Amino acid sequence: MIVDFLVVGFSIGLVYAIVALGISLIYSGLDIVHFAHGEFVMFGAFFGLVLVNDSGLNYPISIFLAMIFAGLMGVFVERVFYRRLTSKGGGYTVAGMGMIICGFGMAIILQNVAFLIWGAEGHAIQVDFGTPLKIGTVNLPKSYLWILCVSVTLMAVLHFFLKHTKAGLAIRAVAANKDIAYLMGINVPLMISLIFGLACGLAAVGGVLIGPINYVQVEMGYLILIKAFAAAVVGGFGSLPGAILGGLMVGIFETLGAAYISGSHKDIYAFLLLIAVLVIKPTGLLGQLAKSKA
Amino acid sequence: MLTLIDGIEAFIGRLKAIHPLLPWLVALLLLLPVPHFTANNYQVYLINFICIMIILATGLNIVKGFAGQVTVGHVALYAIGAYTSAVLSTKFGMPFYVNLPVSILAAMIFGVLVGLPSFRLEGAYLALATLAFAQAVEVYIRVTNYLGAASGIGGIKPPEFFGFTLRNYDEYYYLVMPIMLLAVYASFAILRSATGRAFMAVREDPISAASMGVNVRRYKLIAFVMSAFYAGLAGSLYAHMLPGYVHPNNFTVIEMVTVLLMVVLGGIGNIWGGIIGAIIVTIVADITREYYFYQLLLFGAVIVGTVLFMPKGIGGIIDRYFVNRRFVAARELTAVAKRGVVGSASREE
Repeated sequence: MIVDFLVVGFSIGLVYAIVALGISLIYSGLDIVHFAHGEFVMFGAFFGLVLVNDSGLNYPISIFLAMIFAGLMGVFVERVFYRRLTSKGGGYTVAGMGMIICGFGMAIILQNVAFLIWGAEGHAIQVDFGTPLKIGTVNLPKSYLWILCVSVTLMAVLHFFLKHTKAGLAIRAVAANKDIAYLMGINVPLMISLIFGLACGLAAVGGVLIGPINYVQVEMGYLILIKAFAAAVVGGFGSLPGAILGGLMVGIFETLGAAYISGSHKDIYAFLLLIAVLVIKPTGLLGQLAKSKA
Repeated sequence: MLTLIDGIEAFIGRLKAIHPLLPWLVALLLLLPVPHFTANNYQVYLINFICIMIILATGLNIVKGFAGQVTVGHVALYAIGAYTSAVLSTKFGMPFYVNLPVSILAAMIFGVLVGLPSFRLEGAYLALATLAFAQAVEVYIRVTNYLGAASGIGGIKPPEFFGFTLRNYDEYYYLVMPIMLLAVYASFAILRSATGRAFMAVREDPISAASMGVNVRRYKLIAFVMSAFYAGLAGSLYAHMLPGYVHPNNFTVIEMVTVLLMVVLGGIGNIWGGIIGAIIVTIVADITREYYFYQLLLFGAVIVGTVLFMPKGIGGIIDRYFVNRRFVAARELTAVAKRGVVGSASREE
């Protein structure tokens, strides 16, 4: 019984972790918290829906294509809208309300654009995963296996990209210090676009992965966003291993809470965890000291 | 047009010279007959609703504009105020003059809860915590049967004073409008007081504010509790307004965006701007009610557009206009004075 719940919590947690990875990536790269990130999860899920259900492509290719599309969309949004704000404060950082409010507005816009395109009712991404695996007494649906495989692969690729390639090095340099990165001859605006595209692509993968389990609908982004935020905060904002750890914790915490305390209050547990961590240890489990005015 | 603005400005100045409260009294007198100029009952309802929204936006302006704390969970406090009133009225049969203070108190207690994270969190982190709080409150209301769950609480009694009941929107207006004026006046008074200056010091730079002897934590908390006071007030007034019905749909993220838009469009930290924003947004929201999702699209676009191209909002434009005019007037005055000096000098030669 509890193993089943743990499996579900672990898989959902991996999805949160992927989305939280994107949020942490944006935060470490640009020092902004992206409030419209949940909408990219939603758009990714809808891209997956269209590709699988309507175009009849197979699942892995759809994941890949949805990732590319959402990534391009993220680059577009960043270039056209956010760049005006982020480039105002000398560097590319902007402290304060502007970016938060702008992200909020962008989330509303994207959500309603999606509504105008796809309507309000929920759909499921129809993929035939075959019969669940049986390991001992535990039933393991294959959709959870897909989540596990895809997300672990993605994390490994991301790790390799950031730590062992030249572009990854450039991204880390931009995250550390933009001015010095400029002096070292790194194309900082391009790298920022790349960070944003990567993060939005990751969000889209999260959306496609969760699509066959939950319904894909216009309003799904908001809840996932807050849970991914919770994951990012629990693990420590800006820390990539922390995002993964936080995602798993939020997923398992939420599933166990739903199973043993009250199912209808399921969505509250993640928020309580978020608030508790923010109040007790704002830097999170693996985070460094929060950047503050000095 | 120009002479009209000049005349009004001079008139307000003259009233202020007699007594600082006199302009507010005149405003009260001017606003008193408003319901009699409306075409139908619905417009009176809309005016009442605008008054409530002005209270809410003014409260949000205190914490966001004066004290510079990024909170997005203001609607949750509003919901807490409304639901406290609703529960007290329907489940315990309490009268309005008990419900109002209790609702405000409840909202203020939760305001402390929202404010506590602000000791340790800044900017985006605080926004996250308040967003999570707002979402938790909304979900909690939606799934708790005692609070009416998804069907809401109906049958909240209208306010009654000494056997006189406020039965329709016209009568309710005479309760809401004076409270609204009082709330706006109070926010100006706060802004002018030492507390208001401390808020602004905290907003500009917490570290230097602390070094100047401002107790940063205390003033952050005061700002949150004050805005919670406004939110609880607005919530209680909303719950008791006809048709006496509260529903979780009235306190969703959409309302959050609407209130945010009022403050952003009006100009963050600008009280008059917030009021203008509340009026414009409420009316536009009402006109476009039938085109539900286009309406949100419009609101989102206006929020993004305002932040990108008009960061100071409508209030900023008005402020700049007045500053410009004063500058032009001062320059003309000096020009006239110079000409006079030159003229007298040449005569002496």
